[in-house]
Amino acid sequence: MNSASTQFIPTRRMGLYEPTSQMGMWNDYRENNFMDIPPPVILDVNSRFDNQSEDTSHGTVGPSNKYDQEASKPVDKVLRRLAQNREAARKCRQRKKAYVQQLENSKLRLMQLEQELERVRQQGLYIGGGLDTGQLGYCGTTNPGIAAFEMAYGQWVEQQNKKNADLRDALYSDIRDVELSSFVEDGMKHYFDLFAMKETAARADVFYLMSGMWRTSAEHFLSWIGGFRPSELLKVLMPHLEPLAEQQRLELSNLRQSCQQAEDALSQGLEKLHQFLSDTVAAGQLGEGPYLPQIRAAMDKLDDMVRFVGQADHLRKETLMQISRNLTPRQAARGLLALGEYFQRLRDLSSLWASSRRESA
Amino acid sequence: MCKTRQEPIPYRNLLLQENPQTIMNPNPDNVKRIKENASSLYDIAGDLKNMVKDNAVIVFGKDGCCMSYVVKRLLQGLGVNPTVYEVDEEDENDVVIELEGIGAGDGKEGRMQFPTVFIGGRWFGGLERIMATHITGELTTLLKQAGALWL
Repeated sequence: MNSASTQFIPTRRMGLYEPTSQMGMWNDYRENNFMDIPPPVILDVNSRFDNQSEDTSHGTVGPSNKYDQEASKPVDKVLRRLAQNREAARKCRQRKKAYVQQLENSKLRLMQLEQELERVRQQGLYIGGGLDTGQLGYCGTTNPGIAAFEMAYGQWVEQQNKKNADLRDALYSDIRDVELSSFVEDGMKHYFDLFAMKETAARADVFYLMSGMWRTSAEHFLSWIGGFRPSELLKVLMPHLEPLAEQQRLELSNLRQSCQQAEDALSQGLEKLHQFLSDTVAAGQLGEGPYLPQIRAAMDKLDDMVRFVGQADHLRKETLMQISRNLTPRQAARGLLALGEYFQRLRDLSSLWASSRRESA
Repeated sequence: MCKTRQEPIPYRNLLLQENPQTIMNPNPDNVKRIKENASSLYDIAGDLKNMVKDNAVIVFGKDGCCMSYVVKRLLQGLGVNPTVYEVDEEDENDVVIELEGIGAGDGKEGRMQFPTVFIGGRWFGGLERIMATHITGELTTLLKQAGALWL
């Protein structure tokens, strides 16, 4: 390929760049064999040129070739040059597209890594006992129960992703319903394991659990008493369970209403606890010196918080069990898969959000 | 089988004022409260047994406990008007003993815990059992059988 013809290319190839700087760069290239353009284009152009044995020193070979060939067969050569330009430009656009795609993937991966790092750092801070006491309210005190929970939860999420992937494979393979059932039971048990972990953590520090620090921001934003809201979960799952028999639809609709009633009762109880704590702490003269009696009275009530988290998780467990009782193994498997993917998307959303906040800061 | 919901019940503080005498005051919210006096251990025992027998649904809860409030709100949300017995801290032990005598507690978790519910004169369970049976739909059936629910 004649390198001289490349002097027509710059404006089309480097579409993002200013025409003046393009020409400047390209002139540099021709005169000094100096390439000052982005890596992929450089590499590609270099590799392409390196393939031509005649293009050892572009600056000198090009122009002379051009004039020679134009003297003999002007029209053919011009047409051939233009065709090759188009081809080169097309290939360049393809390469650029692939490069950008690769960048996007790397960016997503980086976000995930940063998120992971953040979690591990928080956990490390918790164990270390207050390297950076600014933001995290719990630093300064080492709570082994919470540290253990953080680690266990990290493992739980990894296992959850793996189980979900296995479930997806199983669902789209040719396995029998009875085997699918065992996948479903295993998946549900994994959630029940989490509830048990949370109960232990609640006894270690219920405020920590309720603060949602151990979960991603999007998950916490959508949570209700330290976890998912059962009625909302049903709403999310329903479309993925289709096709449903009329009886199933009715049962699930009733179940959703029952969940809402139970959730309302728990929410109102929590509100009452909230008011009680507020009243207790504010009792007596505000501004007087020792306020220990009020604090002590409030402390006694904090045990109720632990019970609330426990009752909420118990409701989640009962709801999941009741859902699976009303579904065929295949429907239940689809539901479980949808559930896992829903939470994973929330985690991804949080990663994306966190990283976009860092970029704009 | 459709469940109809009650109209929203306005939030009220349902605790009665303290009264030095032994009282049993029926009131629109069915909250009953007994203050112990010297000879009342027997009275309490008799009263508790009768109360359990006479009420389709009765909830025994610790005074000011948010958990018994949750039970009450859930039952009210179903259209049931439960009798709620609020137990003073000092009466707690006595009441537990009496209730265990009437059948409260299944011995699995040791001592009976508040709040605890009797339906149709028989011991039913605590908040967890209420929640579990509510989710499966059994609770409504049991309440209807006990005559606490007519809808």
